[in-house]
This record gives sequence, C-alpha cells and structure tokens, in this order.
Amino acid sequence: MNHDSTQRIAHSFGSSAPDCFMVATILLVEDEPVTRMSMAARLKRLGHRVLEAGNGREALDVAGRERPDLIIVDWMMPEMDGPTFCEMVRRDPAMKSIHIVLMTSHDQPAQIAEGLARGADDFLSKAASKQEITARVLAGLRTGRLVRELETTGAQLESSMLLLQTKQTEMEADLQSAAAFVHSLLPPPGSPAPGFSLAWEYQPALTLGGDLFGVAAIDADHLGLYILDASGHGVAAALRSASLMTFLRVENILQLIGSYDPATVLREANRQFPLSAEGEYFTLWVGQIHLPTRTLSYASAGHHGVLLSPAERPSRWLTRPSSPLGFDQAAVFAGDQITLQPADRLFLLSDGIYEAPSTTGEPWGRWRFQQAVEAQQHVPLAATIAHCFTEARRWQAQSDFLDDAAVVGLELSV
Amino acid sequence: MDTLAVFVLSEALDLADGDREFFLSLANLFLQESPKELAAARAALARQDCRGLAAAAHKLKGSVLPICAPRLFERAQRLELLGRQGDCAEAEPVCADVERCLAEVHAALRDVIAGGFPS
Repeated sequence: MNHDSTQRIAHSFGSSAPDCFMVATILLVEDEPVTRMSMAARLKRLGHRVLEAGNGREALDVAGRERPDLIIVDWMMPEMDGPTFCEMVRRDPAMKSIHIVLMTSHDQPAQIAEGLARGADDFLSKAASKQEITARVLAGLRTGRLVRELETTGAQLESSMLLLQTKQTEMEADLQSAAAFVHSLLPPPGSPAPGFSLAWEYQPALTLGGDLFGVAAIDADHLGLYILDASGHGVAAALRSASLMTFLRVENILQLIGSYDPATVLREANRQFPLSAEGEYFTLWVGQIHLPTRTLSYASAGHHGVLLSPAERPSRWLTRPSSPLGFDQAAVFAGDQITLQPADRLFLLSDGIYEAPSTTGEPWGRWRFQQAVEAQQHVPLAATIAHCFTEARRWQAQSDFLDDAAVVGLELSV
Repeated sequence: MDTLAVFVLSEALDLADGDREFFLSLANLFLQESPKELAAARAALARQDCRGLAAAAHKLKGSVLPICAPRLFERAQRLELLGRQGDCAEAEPVCADVERCLAEVHAALRDVIAGGFPS
C-alpha cells in the first residue's frame, strides 16, 4: 500500500475533521476517456492523487507498481473487464486487500452478487451524484485503512508470537541446562559408604525442582544425609534450594560449625535461612551415621518424611513435631539417635509423593507409602522406590506430580 | 414532441464543480471521442454484431453523463438495450436517432466553446 501518499488533511477541516478525510492514491480504471476525465477531476478536487488506466491489463501493472489505497474500476471494458480485474487483484498477495469499487450500471441482485463474488468491495453508478461519489470514495478509503490496520496488527501479533516462541525455547533450554546442573549435584546411586547402598527417584513438578537431597561421606567414620523441601516449586524454589544445598555441603558445615551434628546444622541453617519476604521457607531433615557403630543421629525442621523400615520389625517415622526453618530465630531443634540394624532401610521422601491427591482430593498419605515399602521389603531397593512411584501415580491417576516428588533409599547390607 | 433537453449547461457545470475551463476541456474531449463511438455502433450494426452494438452504445452513453445531455443519453440507452436484446433490425432507426441527437449536442457544445458561457 502506498501509505506515504495517505496523509491526513485534517487541518483543512479543523480539529473536528473525521478520520476519513485523507489524501490517498486512487487508481481509476476506465476505457471511456470522457468518463475517466470527469471522474479523475472529481477525485483530484477531493485532494487525492489519481492514477489512470484505460484497461484492466494496464491497471494491473499500475496497481502492482503503485499500490494505490483505492481502485475504482469500470465493469465493462475491452481486453479485461472489471470483475476479471478484481479477481486478478485478489489473487496477488501484495494487492489482495486493496479496496475496489466497481463502476457499473448493473443494479440487478444477481449482477451485484457476481461482482462481490469476484472480488469487488462496493459499487458505484456512473450516474451517481457527486455527493454519492465523494461518500463512497471516503467510505472505501476508511474501510481500506481499517483492513490495513488489521493486517498490520495481525503481522505484529505474528511477529510477537515468533519472538515469544524463540524466547520460550531459549528459556526452556536454560531450564534444562539448570536442571541438568542440579541433577549433577544429587548423590550418585550405588554405595556411598561401605555396607550401605543408595537408590533414589526424583520427579520435579516442573523442569526445575525445589526439593533436593544429599548423601555424602563426612569423614572415614561418618556419612551425612539430608533432604530439604522448599515451599513452592519451579525456578524460584530451585534457586533457594540450591543455595541451601550449597550451605549443607560437608566442607561448608565443617568449616562453619566444626561437625555435622544434625541439631547444630539445623540451628545454623535456621539462622541463615529466615522466612523470605514472600513467606517462602524450607523444611529440612538432617542425619549423620557413625559407620563403625551404625548409629544414626538425626534432627528435623518441620520435615516429616523419613521412614525407617527394618527388615523384621515394624517401620517407624523418624521425626518429631518441629518448626520449618526460619520461623523462629531462637528455635532449638532436638536431636535423636537410633542404632541401625543389618538390612534396615531408611527412606527420605518429600511431601510431593505422599501428598499426591486422588481425583477426589484425598492425599496418598504417609501410611500408604509405608504399606508400599513394607510390601516390597524383599525386592531390591531401587525396585521398592519405583513401586512407590507407581502406586502414587496410580493413586493420583496421572503421571506428573503437582509438587516435586523425591524418594531416597539407603539400605544397610546384611 | 421530445420533452428531454438536448443539453443542460447548468447541470454540466455543477458536475464540474463550476470549473468552466475544465468543462470546456471535457466538451472538447467529448467532441473528439463521441464520433468514434457512434462510428463503432454503425459498424457493428452494419455487420449485425449486436454485442458490439451494445458495447459501443454503452460507451457512448457513459460519455454523455458528464456532459448532461438527457436526450442523447436516453437514445444511447435505448440503442444499448436493443443491442443486448439482439434486435439489430429495430436498432437501425434508433441509431439514426442517436446520430441526430449527437449532432444536436455537438452543436450546443460548439456554441458554448465558441460563444462562451451565458452570464
């Protein structure tokens, strides 16, 4: 479209001039010279730039070159008549939305329908009054401008969509990369210490999870382990969790407090990770196993998901009522101790697994988890954990979890 | 008696938005072009080409509108209709009538061109 040629001349009409008053480029296609001269003069008197063509073929060349804002074309012309010209314009992607007014003396409904079907937007009688000609031209220009605006808006939307898709692809790649990094920080399954085997399964609710865990040797005689659960999930929770995970690194803890005593670790974590301005917090369970005596010391800050599942005795949850981290700077976290027996299994889990809701909203629950674990006591640890995930998924009737779901299993050899 | 006017100068000038110079240019163009259309109509009639007759009459009719010559317009319209209806026999006298009316309009236009506009 020849937008440059479309200039408002509102100043001629004062500030109340309607939007439709504008200087436009109009192509007039008429084989009869007297009519063409008369109509061209009228359009020029309205202030428009007028291009003239004596037949449809010539008009197609002019229209392609000049992209007029409006075309007024005679119906009956030699070589190419008006309706055929309309069809040709509509087939050209660059010109298809130009407003076309067909000049005709045909006023029968069938002929009007034919004109519309073949691409005309409006009709104008050659005998029309100058007022009607003026009104139809202005209406055509106004409609043409609206169509162009719609096309522009559509093109801008499409461009924005492409930009968004590109950004989203980049962001997803970043998230995948971050998730891979976080995954690399998790303990490798296998044997973290002589006489212990480790297996785990982790399914974040989104690409990046806010629930993390660690199992690592503190020294030759001690194995440290923890599971943390950040409120919320997604990138923000993952970033906060990564920060707490860094804090819980053995070297850092030993440097800060001199030992990996669970209650002391929680006290220091509670001091360093206060409730955020947005009300976000962590639950954390920390344990330390003295390998020579198989003594497990542990403490919990609001984390209720640690189950001891002995081979020949009833399971028990290793937790006691406590606050999550950051709620009370003066909070004291009590420590407990138990002695592990051969074939004992310790499960550290996030609430995403046992709070998985059924279709009616009922959580799967810690006791169903416990039942699943006890029923699988004699199968390999990794299979037991996989079974728990299968049961939780069956319960919630979907594969993905609403919250991060993690189950870490640690087993003493017989 | 024919009640239609040969030529209505005031309406023609009104269509030209009072631009006398432009009207004179238009009149000269009409004097130059309209004989071609009449000749085309005559030729079509001679070869009994009703479609050609209708097309030529249609073109002449269109050119008369800005000139405001009601009688010629009506005759040209009638000739176009007969051409469309395929009635070349009936068209012969109408074509002669068109020729007479065109001569009247030419004469009137030449008067205006030569003598100027009435005050």
